[in-house]
Amino acid sequence: MAKKISEKTLKKSFFNWFFWNGCSQQAESMLGMAFGQSMAPVIEELYDTKEERAAALNRHITLFNTESQVGSICNGITCALEEANANGQCTPEVIESVKVALIGPTSAIGDSLWVATIIPILLTVCLSISEAAAGAAWAGALLYLVAYPSLTCLLSWKLFKLGYKSGLEGLQTMMASGKLDHLTDTLSLVGLIVTGALTASFVSCSLPIQITKTVVDYTGADLVETTAVLFNADNMLNGIFPKILPLGLTLLVYYLYSKKKWSPLKLMGLILVMALVLTGLGFATGVYA
Amino acid sequence: MNTVQIILVALFVYLGSIGSIVGNTIGWYALGRPLVASFIVGLITGDMQDAMIVGIPLQIMYMGNVTPGGAVAWDLSYATYIGTAGAIMFGRGAGATELIGLAVVFAGIGGLVGQLMWNVSYALNLPLNRIAKKYADEGDTKHMFVPNVVGGQLIGFICRFVPAMIVLTALSVGSSQADFANLIPSWLTTTLSVFGGMMASLGMGIILSFLVKKGWHYAVFLAGFILVTYFNLSTMAVAVVAIIVGVCYYNVVTKEA
Repeated sequence: MAKKISEKTLKKSFFNWFFWNGCSQQAESMLGMAFGQSMAPVIEELYDTKEERAAALNRHITLFNTESQVGSICNGITCALEEANANGQCTPEVIESVKVALIGPTSAIGDSLWVATIIPILLTVCLSISEAAAGAAWAGALLYLVAYPSLTCLLSWKLFKLGYKSGLEGLQTMMASGKLDHLTDTLSLVGLIVTGALTASFVSCSLPIQITKTVVDYTGADLVETTAVLFNADNMLNGIFPKILPLGLTLLVYYLYSKKKWSPLKLMGLILVMALVLTGLGFATGVYA
Repeated sequence: MNTVQIILVALFVYLGSIGSIVGNTIGWYALGRPLVASFIVGLITGDMQDAMIVGIPLQIMYMGNVTPGGAVAWDLSYATYIGTAGAIMFGRGAGATELIGLAVVFAGIGGLVGQLMWNVSYALNLPLNRIAKKYADEGDTKHMFVPNVVGGQLIGFICRFVPAMIVLTALSVGSSQADFANLIPSWLTTTLSVFGGMMASLGMGIILSFLVKKGWHYAVFLAGFILVTYFNLSTMAVAVVAIIVGVCYYNVVTKEA
């Protein structure tokens, strides 16, 4: 009789991964130990002898890495392959090479689509709710805290099942149809628009330079001395294009991070220096009193 | 903050870090986000209003904090819990600008401690591979959780909870020495608020590096920007517009293909 992994074992394997995929992350095997733990219930069900189990466990504690939420599809595919192997329809070499091959595409999809796009968009929506709901700013935070984990858990489980049911072909058809590319492109556009709005709303940067002149008002009975601003650099710049400096600063950070490979810490240092210089200028020219 | 509050915040620093017992989806990606972290600190300290005042700017600043390829750009959990708690402790009675400035500074300190502890735990986890190998060689499927969950958790907990307790206790003792909100000179407040506003560009710039793939994407980014500057839309309104554009775009490209 052909061996089959029960639904209960699949769930156990999935939740082992969902909760503990990052527990023992390190440079040697990355998520290897977590992957081994996820496979342990499956191996126990499929193999009977100590030797078979040892060989199977050793296959899965080696180097493995992915974006673990979308990457649950790898666990599903591996479950299917182990099942085939237990029935003599697959070899350990195939399992190992498939696992290695899965690292690249699943990390790329997970990082770019899920972590760098879905999370910021969801956070932005929740942020906006917090901003809008005066007096109930916690509402957005609570919404995110409930919505994000539950939706992700559901998606992660669906991908796990997809991987198990359709194996490698499932991933290939998903990637070959081009639908995934379209979805990634679409979400990138949504993300770009939202990021533009956030930049305009939250980044602030000004050039605090002004030239003032003391004017004496002769019209009244008494002479009144007032300070008139002849020139304000920031007003002039914003007159040309509103918030041009925050825009420029954001693009500069983007350029340094993405093209010049500056680290976030280095960028933070640069921003601190710029802030000190600008504040100094502001005090020197009297914008800040 | 009293001892119970310090313990609770330190516990959440651990829960919101990578690889805590509740998993990365609930921990790092939910409890560890600044928006949620400040909400939790608000619940613990009872000062929800101040917590959320700093939570929103911190979230913008650290929006670009993701973990591509396992490299932690900045330890978010440490940064935001300690940033928010520090701002609440030192900025009691201060205005929004001062609170945000303080939060940025304390988040920076917390982030540095977190970065250090992450590297420590990354190294301490290495020997766990030997334990995993031992159980695997015996074909012991029942004990595969030992190196990963028991070992990994123990190291993770010690590396996060203990330093967080020390930092928070120090902040708590320090803040009770004087009424800091009134001691901060105005030039410092101005500098901090300028710095805080400029720091928001860090999050946005890093997010852009993930999103911009083609030249015309800059134009799309600019569209979102001018919807706020010229059309005075709120970010929520722009999010709705963005989703509509996305739906249309997706339908057009999938029909063409």
